[in-house]
Amino acid sequence: MLLPDRSFDAIVIGGGHNGLVAAAYLGKAGRRVLLLEASPNLGGPLATAEITPDYRVSTGAHLIDMLPRRVEKDLKLAKHGLRYAARYVPTIALNPTNGHLVLSRRKRDLELLRKKSPRDADAYLAFTKRMRSHAALLSPFLDETPFALGGEGARAAFRKIVWRSQRLNAASREALLHDLPGSIGDLLDDTFETSILKGALALEALLGTVAGPFDAGTVLRSIYRKAQRLAGIGTSMPEGGMGAFIDALAAAAMDMGVAIRTSSPVARILVEDDIAVGVETAAGEIFHAPLVLSSAHPRATMIGLLGANRIDAGLAARLSRASTRGATAKLNLALSGLPTIQGLAPAEYGARLIVAPSLADVQEAYAQSKQGLFASNPVMEVTIPSVADPTLAPPSHHVMSILIQYVPYEAAGGWADSRDRLIDRVIETLSIYAPDLKSRIIAGELLLPADLERKFGLPGGDWHHGELRADQLLMHRPVPALAQYRTPIAGLYLCGAGSHPGGGVTGMAGRLAAKAALAERRRA
Amino acid sequence: MSDDAETIPLGPEPAADAPAVDAPAADASVPEGLIAPAEPASEDARPAGMAAFADTVRADPALFEHAPVEPPFARHVLTSPLHMNVAMESRTNLWTHWNGYTAADILTNIEDEYRALRHAAAISDISPLVKYRISGREALAYLTRLVADNPAGLSVDDAAPVVFCEDRGFVVGDGLLFRLGEEEYRLVTEETHLGWLLDSAIGFAVQVDDVSSTLAGLSLQGPLSARILALAGFADIETLRPYAARWFQVAAMPVYVSRTGSSGDLGYELWVDPEDAQPVWAHLLTHGAPLGLAAGGFALRELARIEAGIARAGRDYLGAFSAVDDDSASTPYELGLAALVDLDHGHFTGRDALRAAKAAPPRHILATLAIDWREPLNFTGIHAGGLVAGIATSTAFSPSLETNLALAMLKPSALAKGAMLHIEAEVRRGFELRRLKVPARIVAGPVLSLPARHLVPAPAGPKP
Repeated sequence: MLLPDRSFDAIVIGGGHNGLVAAAYLGKAGRRVLLLEASPNLGGPLATAEITPDYRVSTGAHLIDMLPRRVEKDLKLAKHGLRYAARYVPTIALNPTNGHLVLSRRKRDLELLRKKSPRDADAYLAFTKRMRSHAALLSPFLDETPFALGGEGARAAFRKIVWRSQRLNAASREALLHDLPGSIGDLLDDTFETSILKGALALEALLGTVAGPFDAGTVLRSIYRKAQRLAGIGTSMPEGGMGAFIDALAAAAMDMGVAIRTSSPVARILVEDDIAVGVETAAGEIFHAPLVLSSAHPRATMIGLLGANRIDAGLAARLSRASTRGATAKLNLALSGLPTIQGLAPAEYGARLIVAPSLADVQEAYAQSKQGLFASNPVMEVTIPSVADPTLAPPSHHVMSILIQYVPYEAAGGWADSRDRLIDRVIETLSIYAPDLKSRIIAGELLLPADLERKFGLPGGDWHHGELRADQLLMHRPVPALAQYRTPIAGLYLCGAGSHPGGGVTGMAGRLAAKAALAERRRA
Repeated sequence: MSDDAETIPLGPEPAADAPAVDAPAADASVPEGLIAPAEPASEDARPAGMAAFADTVRADPALFEHAPVEPPFARHVLTSPLHMNVAMESRTNLWTHWNGYTAADILTNIEDEYRALRHAAAISDISPLVKYRISGREALAYLTRLVADNPAGLSVDDAAPVVFCEDRGFVVGDGLLFRLGEEEYRLVTEETHLGWLLDSAIGFAVQVDDVSSTLAGLSLQGPLSARILALAGFADIETLRPYAARWFQVAAMPVYVSRTGSSGDLGYELWVDPEDAQPVWAHLLTHGAPLGLAAGGFALRELARIEAGIARAGRDYLGAFSAVDDDSASTPYELGLAALVDLDHGHFTGRDALRAAKAAPPRHILATLAIDWREPLNFTGIHAGGLVAGIATSTAFSPSLETNLALAMLKPSALAKGAMLHIEAEVRRGFELRRLKVPARIVAGPVLSLPARHLVPAPAGPKP
């Protein structure tokens, strides 16, 4: 791309979805923005790539379920080419023995559950209502810059929580106090008796973490995700895979005047008198701007690009200690035909399929991952995107996208020998449901946590740039001193998943960071 | 065992082909076997004088055995490499503890030790000080971010007092920073700081090692200290500038001598390998005793540094990580260490906070007080107009000034113009107790700072 000038109003480091959203919002506010992406492609793990020629699949995440309607509307993503192959994708818990379960509040779906357990059907309604009520309490905080610890903001935030909780009835308040600190496993055990239901709900709460189902704090995480979903457009599958979502974001950004350069890794952030003045790329090019927003991992930004010598030691230590671990791997398969999943209606092949038959399976997979082993019975989230989106594979051929939970970052004995065994294990497990799967596999690719780290700059293989757990959320994300997106260097902001409200395909960190940067610029 | 035996000169060959019956003779538990050679024939082969010599030099083979490896932190009572030498000087058996080490408190009596220090010289063991080696390509960048002053001006073989703060500008500790080489430094501190030094190393190509136990320290302070060193063979010692350091070779032992110390007078600190510490100590005492050199204990060190107005971490102020709350922590400005802060040399930890702290009024101030009473007093509270205006953190009776001194943490109100400070002390006479109210006055700067401290060349007397 031809760049007539090397001076901009703002530079955004990193072309993942948060970087693109931040750049687009800055552009929308009339700023001249340059976005620099290290790799040849935008989107990082949100991409559509070929497994083998003609078979394309979403590289990392495979569903959009938390993208706020507001971001979609503000950036006119539909106008910029975002189409959905499927909206409101249902979730189906696969049952190895009899009767899969559609997780939904719809009467028709609840009847399936009622057949298994009348008690659980009622409990499910009560449970989802309860979680939704908890989430509603949290959701206003997801839409704004977190308050600062030890300031007037903290007091205001507490007032807000108290005020909102006053509108709850006594039962909901008691439920909140009971549920919040606990573990999802205990809560599910308390609430339900159907093991397939418990397994699926546990996996839904835990996908993307390294925490086990019986770890304290996992209910909070579940509520947090629920709150993010409340503001979202509903579980959707973009036509053309997640890469198409990124293309639409990039088109929106460019429409708002953002200049995008790929294959331009930033080597360092330039600072004069503690004020950010621009960046220098690895190729030695220098770009100037009074605003620099980084969507890279907070640690990579502050210690790698800025330099530990420019920040206080306590802050650097805190950043380097913030937990950033992932235990989710991705297996993408190219298939010569649709595998037959026993007991699944033809219309249900496009659903989000959960393979977690019981809480015990989830706990076992977690326990094994702690020892550097992968599970004997892996727990997974599976989609066959080509069912709803035929553009992804040749006619009557398909692609399958599998998120495998609890794959350790480091395998006991190293991954070199274990890679193929993990693939075999996953396919064996899926063959319980789809016996003809193996015969249909043409090609596949496996992305382990370490591959995600290497390919997409996700330290520890953490999709969220820092674990989403109670002590790393809100005003603690990524660390208290940086929770308001700004840094000790004037003009430098964090706008990635490492900042509030965290990972997941929301773009909210980018949006809120852009908002914070614009507000401060105006004041200055 | 046979390997060890081979290291003994002139010993009989612990033959590998020796009969099995002889084998126990070489065993450590039966050293007689070595002293009385198993084969008289071999002794006959040597001149008689040589044989006698061999008998006297032959040592207990147990000396050559490796000491059993001690698990880390197995001992809670640590002894300095100079412990035996110090113990030899003790007439009182009064000991105290210093950083986990057993340290002599008073060796003879404090007046005699003080007289030696102020009129001749005193030698003391400062091995319990904490020493860190900081080395690597980015050692200077690391230190620039660590300490509040600019360390870039420090040249090789030079030292500077430094203070280092945490993010909020509160002092973590203070110490003496030596530059040993282009990329090698040594930080000597009163308290341990390894955790903070390692945290600060994140993002820097630097290595931080605790060398406290592998480096012994001797302090030689007093007006005759240069002369004693000159007599002991430290050539051209008088040319060493204050805070400068130099390597010397004394009796084949490498000794790193710095013109540093906390006595407020001319003085030196000697940094040696623990194995050389004892001979160096003995060497200095041999040459210094005729001039009045005496060994001093921890009490003397405390007295001297209070006279010199030097605060001690952990005693006069609490490091940021030891303080239970922010009110107990201090900024460098509150400790009177403003001279060790350079806000404009580039970023260092706590700089932004210190910029604000510099403009803000201090919450408390460390100052030296003189309480004019001609015998030692016990007191803690500092009062002003019926209210507690501060607390004495260190107290001492200065024999030369014949007055009580204190380092005290004072409230700002105590420094207001016209504020009348006093202390309340109880004095016992037999079985009678008297309550005293003695006025206290703030002393600006150190009570005692002797000109010889700054003299170059240092007064070393005629060349030996």
